[in-house]
Amino acid sequence: MIEAIGRAVREALEAIGAAGRLAVEGARSTRDVRTWWPNFTEQARKLGVDSLPIGVLIAGFTGVVLALLASYSFTGAVPRYLVGTLVQKTIMMELAPVLTGLALAGRVGANIAAEIGTMRVTEQVDALETLSFDPIAYLVVPRVFAASLMFPVVVGVAMFVGLAAGWGASRLLLDLSTVEFLKGARLFFDHFDVRYGLVKSASFGFAVALFACATGLRTRGGAQGVGAAATNAVVQGCVMILVLDAFWAMVWLLGRAQ
Amino acid sequence: MKTRSNDWLVGTAVLGALVLVVVATLWLQGTDIGEGRDKVTARFRDVGNMQVGNAVVIRGVGAGRVEEISLSDNGWVLAELSLDEDVVLPADPVVLIQASTLFGEWQATVTSREAVPANRGIEGQLADAEGAPTGSLPGAVLPDIAQLTTVAGGIAGNVASVAERVRTAFDEDAARELRASISNFNTMSAELARAVRAQSRNMDSIAVDVRSGAGDLSTAAAALARSMGRVDTATDSGEIAAIVAETQRAVVDLREAAGRLNQLTVALSGAESNLVGMIGKADTLLGKIDRGEGTLGLLVNSPALYHHSDSLMVELRLLIADVKRDPKRYFGLSIF
Repeated sequence: MIEAIGRAVREALEAIGAAGRLAVEGARSTRDVRTWWPNFTEQARKLGVDSLPIGVLIAGFTGVVLALLASYSFTGAVPRYLVGTLVQKTIMMELAPVLTGLALAGRVGANIAAEIGTMRVTEQVDALETLSFDPIAYLVVPRVFAASLMFPVVVGVAMFVGLAAGWGASRLLLDLSTVEFLKGARLFFDHFDVRYGLVKSASFGFAVALFACATGLRTRGGAQGVGAAATNAVVQGCVMILVLDAFWAMVWLLGRAQ
Repeated sequence: MKTRSNDWLVGTAVLGALVLVVVATLWLQGTDIGEGRDKVTARFRDVGNMQVGNAVVIRGVGAGRVEEISLSDNGWVLAELSLDEDVVLPADPVVLIQASTLFGEWQATVTSREAVPANRGIEGQLADAEGAPTGSLPGAVLPDIAQLTTVAGGIAGNVASVAERVRTAFDEDAARELRASISNFNTMSAELARAVRAQSRNMDSIAVDVRSGAGDLSTAAAALARSMGRVDTATDSGEIAAIVAETQRAVVDLREAAGRLNQLTVALSGAESNLVGMIGKADTLLGKIDRGEGTLGLLVNSPALYHHSDSLMVELRLLIADVKRDPKRYFGLSIF
């Protein structure tokens, strides 16, 4: 058991170290624009545009559930228009970024780790190096940039859809008027809520793509190694999302609360 | 071709998400794009928990929002309020900020000074905020529920202190004395009840007397009514008019008698004057007589003269008697 804990800690530190080294190398490789730019939009489509349906689906159902949960919780003296407040705050600041990020960590992280891992075990990465291609600039930079850009796009759409779903559920299921819902949604709204969610989601995309790339580049063995790399990438991406979520909350929310 | 398709899809997604986020943000902020808004600045010493975005209310109707809150010189806080187009401010406007709900929601109410609640603190804040060089509206912050609960907490603490003192003072001896007091109070209550019953009986008797007196009064009133009826009847038959006429005549007679009496009095006054003069002259005459002056005085004061006069009268009487007896002796009458 102790060995298992020690191994887990070592692997975690290795992953963080590999991601850190990769980040530094990727920063250097960003200068090689001609190498990574042609792949950028393709990765943006694969990681972002193709992820919009899952993001919309998650946000839609989350908005409905939040509205019902708020209505269930707010009884007695609590005014019902606070349903709008709860939906707006939780969707924009927490659930849209985090739930969408977790879903994309599974989809995007596994995709990147499996793709790069396969290239690694089939020695395509070595072939790139042989052909004088910088594998970091060719494989990592466009994915990290695409994820960092498209995660906020997906989360932004998810915010809108989640809020609309909460409003629709309030109208149709809770008999809450649009005016009441809007009053609650506007009550404590600050554009900081949007900035907070989007910046957070960008950091999620950066971390998910970076750890997935690092895991894929460290893939060893055959198909089994690729599967393990994909699994590790998803786990590391999810953990990093939660860690970054807490980090941004402490950095921004704690400071604003004081 | 595939790259162009990817570019188009990514660009569309990015722009679409950007538009959605911007529109949702503006919508939630209540921003009215393209609609003119009037700006009003109010200044306060303190704005409580008011924040940018809170509602501005005029007579209970939402009329705008708080756009900006900033610190100013000399300890002032300036709040910029944006009002909907065509909103007319009340006369002599002031701005009151207050908690609108129990859940931290605040609002700025623009109202006329006359409608400000009578409170020295609020009036003091408004007077303090008067005369802003920038022409901003004076503002005041009303106490929120937290301040009220703080005051209530203080009161509750005082009550608890009093209760503790009462508990300390209310020991076993005090309880015994209180029981004795209650017992005495019961006794006193019984005595009081007896006294009340006795007084009640007296009151019954008095009530009977009063009722009897009321009957007598009723009878007297009936008699009076009858008398009044008679008077009324007499009035109707003209007797009163005859009496009044008689009285008027008697008054005329009395007035004439009084006139005569007045004339008599004047005459008597003249007679009195004459009488006084006559008495004076008589007094003078009597004085002379008394002093023996004049014939009469001599006659009165001289006994010899009296005697001579008396003998003269005797002789004269004798002469007259002699003349009567023999007139021819003294008178010779011849005819032819």
